Amino acid sequence: MRRAHARRTATTIREVSDIVVTTDERPEGRQRSAEEERLLAQRRRDTRNKWLWRIAGYVVVLLIWEYGFQAIMELIAGRSLNDALLPGPIRILQTIPDIWEDGEMLSNFGATLTRIGIGFGVSFIAGALIGLFTQNKWLDSFFRDLVVVSLTSPGLVWALTGLIIWGFKPLGWIFAIFMTTFALVSVNISEGVRALPKDLLDMAKAFGVSSIDRQRHIVIPHLAPYIFTAVRFGFSIAWKVTVLTEVFSSNKGIGFQMRVTSQVFQLDEFFTWVLSFFVFALFLEKVVLQRAEDRYFRWRQEVAT
Amino acid sequence: MAEIKVKNLHKEFGVGDDRVVALENVNLDIEGHVFVSIVGPSGCGKSTLLNILSGIETASSGTVDITQDSHDANPGYVFQAARLLPWRSVMENLMFVQKERDDEARARCQRYLDMVQLGDKGDKFPGELSGGMQQRVGIARAFSIEPDVLFMDEPFSHLDAITARSLRRELHEMWKQTKKTVLFVTHDVGEAVELSNRILVFAKGGKLEDDITVDLPFPRDPSDDAVAVAKAQVLRKFEELDLLAT
Amino acid sequence: MTAAAMDSRPRVPFYRRPVAARILMPIAVIVVWYLVYWTLGSRIFEPPHRVFEFMWNELTLETRLRNGKGPSNLYQMFGLTVVRLFAGFAIAMVVGTVIGLAMGLSKSVNAFFHDWVMAVLAMPALVWALFLGLVFGPQGNQAPIYACILAGIPFVIINVREGVRNTPKELFDMARAFGVPQNKITRNVLLPSLMPFLFAAVRYAFSVGWKGLVIAEVFASDSGMGWAIKFWYDAHQTRGVIGYALFFVAFALALEKLLFEPLAEKAFKWRPRVGDVGVVEEQFLLDQTVEGALEVEQFTGGESDG
Repeated sequence: MRRAHARRTATTIREVSDIVVTTDERPEGRQRSAEEERLLAQRRRDTRNKWLWRIAGYVVVLLIWEYGFQAIMELIAGRSLNDALLPGPIRILQTIPDIWEDGEMLSNFGATLTRIGIGFGVSFIAGALIGLFTQNKWLDSFFRDLVVVSLTSPGLVWALTGLIIWGFKPLGWIFAIFMTTFALVSVNISEGVRALPKDLLDMAKAFGVSSIDRQRHIVIPHLAPYIFTAVRFGFSIAWKVTVLTEVFSSNKGIGFQMRVTSQVFQLDEFFTWVLSFFVFALFLEKVVLQRAEDRYFRWRQEVAT
Repeated sequence: MAEIKVKNLHKEFGVGDDRVVALENVNLDIEGHVFVSIVGPSGCGKSTLLNILSGIETASSGTVDITQDSHDANPGYVFQAARLLPWRSVMENLMFVQKERDDEARARCQRYLDMVQLGDKGDKFPGELSGGMQQRVGIARAFSIEPDVLFMDEPFSHLDAITARSLRRELHEMWKQTKKTVLFVTHDVGEAVELSNRILVFAKGGKLEDDITVDLPFPRDPSDDAVAVAKAQVLRKFEELDLLAT
Repeated sequence: MTAAAMDSRPRVPFYRRPVAARILMPIAVIVVWYLVYWTLGSRIFEPPHRVFEFMWNELTLETRLRNGKGPSNLYQMFGLTVVRLFAGFAIAMVVGTVIGLAMGLSKSVNAFFHDWVMAVLAMPALVWALFLGLVFGPQGNQAPIYACILAGIPFVIINVREGVRNTPKELFDMARAFGVPQNKITRNVLLPSLMPFLFAAVRYAFSVGWKGLVIAEVFASDSGMGWAIKFWYDAHQTRGVIGYALFFVAFALALEKLLFEPLAEKAFKWRPRVGDVGVVEEQFLLDQTVEGALEVEQFTGGESDG
């Protein structure tokens, strides 16, 4: 018989004397074991590392953007470029107060947001209704191809089609937003309704819970995540297509400003508009939607951890 | 013949309120052709012990020493869920754990598939088999590397009672023929009494509380009086140790 | 027993069958189209038959576009767009896979890139199109290809990273317990488990990259399908705009039916065909894995559209 140490013993074993195994069971008074100390140190190291690398990411990208952008782009383009085309982060930041003081910021933002609000509002209601309709097999077949077409085709074609039919009247951009976002809403709502927890609803009926309470405590909490997903995705697409319609024909709005500023080679202002919308989207995401979700989904464990 | 020696094994997870001691100062000595069952309430570190022995997890402290006849032999492992590669055929799943991809290995795999009565299913994907069949593939895989030591982690707990029973019988036959050292984790005392020579009882907090030798002849029928008595004795032990409440 | 009696199912009239509903939708669209045409009384807007006539003429090369370099036709424009699409897609796949792998394997690399990947993801293709148009000018392929890469790459990165993060730990543990060597584990466990995510990445990079590419062709190119639709828009020719829009839709559907569906069939034949779980996962733009991935990101996700 050959005697051999399993290969893992060499790597995993430490001296027993390393370890302080305490017998004190009180959680507060208990001394931390060596294993706990090791784990804690590891966690602290991980958190510190994560932040260091994150900051490094910002520093490196911003430095390259500020000082190496021109050189890199000229290398790629193979010709020298006017530096008005390649504004660095510092210059972009400097233009923010100018636009703000003009009062341009609020009025353009307002115009675009109103359009998104109206357009997406209409699409959401219509999409949700279609999602409910598609519980019926016949209506599901009726809408199926329209949904697939809406999901697969580029927003550009709907923007241009809407514009050429109605011009830049509300119906034009509502059509574009509707055609790009309703399918997303209807698919999500339809999935949600299909997955309604029948067992819980039966349970509630067995206990004689009223219909209103059943909606409030079962149906709506169940549908909420599907609605959040639909809003989140729908909004991001709606804003892109709205800006696109504004580029073609409008006299106000972020898309319009992007077109004007890029036509006169004021790319610093151009990027300021992009940046400002980013800040807004970030606010909407992290503050509004995230808060609402946190409040609504406290019962979900994966959100808590 | 194989020997497993465990000395002062300690394993814990988490920090502060989340801290869980899975194994506390466990000492073990298992030798030769025995079938050892490990029983205890859930969360008593049964699976953790197998994971440390097989090298999946590392211990916080203590030593593990597995001695086998050939120095490059690897223990076999049957998991609670079969853990088959869903994108490989049954035969490929067995070949995956072989050291050599030669005809000899292929013939061996086929032999063990035959032994679990799945000789004609070699070309199927695991997704095309029932849960019981998948578990049998898992057992064939563990045997197909012809290890001296075999770890089994509640292999029958996901199966229905009838399938589990016939698989237990098959397992016993294979153990008898191949003379392996088996470490078998289960929460089912009846299963432990039916299959093993020795039962290790773990309590919550990972303490090895008792080491019971079951000295009854095989094959054991669960409806047999002697087996029922032995089961009752083990359950009484549980009661003494206050394990049933948890 | 007569044949009629054996057919136990009640006879459903044709108009109540789902098939009828499916046929009815395009008819309804055309009817609504005519109604809009008559009620608007617009001089610009045109009825379906004119658009179909235009499309037929395009397909049979009756009409010619003029793009400064001389006349060109649907097939030339389409060919250019497809070549650009494949070039951009290939680069996005290679670079995105490398970055995604690094981000999945290392927390540090992930922290370094994460916020910037999200920023690129949330950027409308329009921004790339306008910016790249100014930098590279309308000639050549550079601006459209870069726009295609920039639109598609965040989806590749996120999918590959999620694939690496979601590798089946229990299978790796199994392989380790059996002492399987690392290169064998890579081939038999890691790569197959990444496949669904890579496949989702391919699909997204293609569809989203294409949308970005078309927008770049509108604003930053003098050739390609995007340029053609813009040409008709500027000429105030409804038939051209809607005709090309329909070509786009047809292309997207063809891509889905002729490329992705057969590919998925082949790549995932090990998946059991029980239930409709697999089907949902493989639908265009509804891939569960990717939606899950984007939900985790919690930023203005969705497609890089419009």
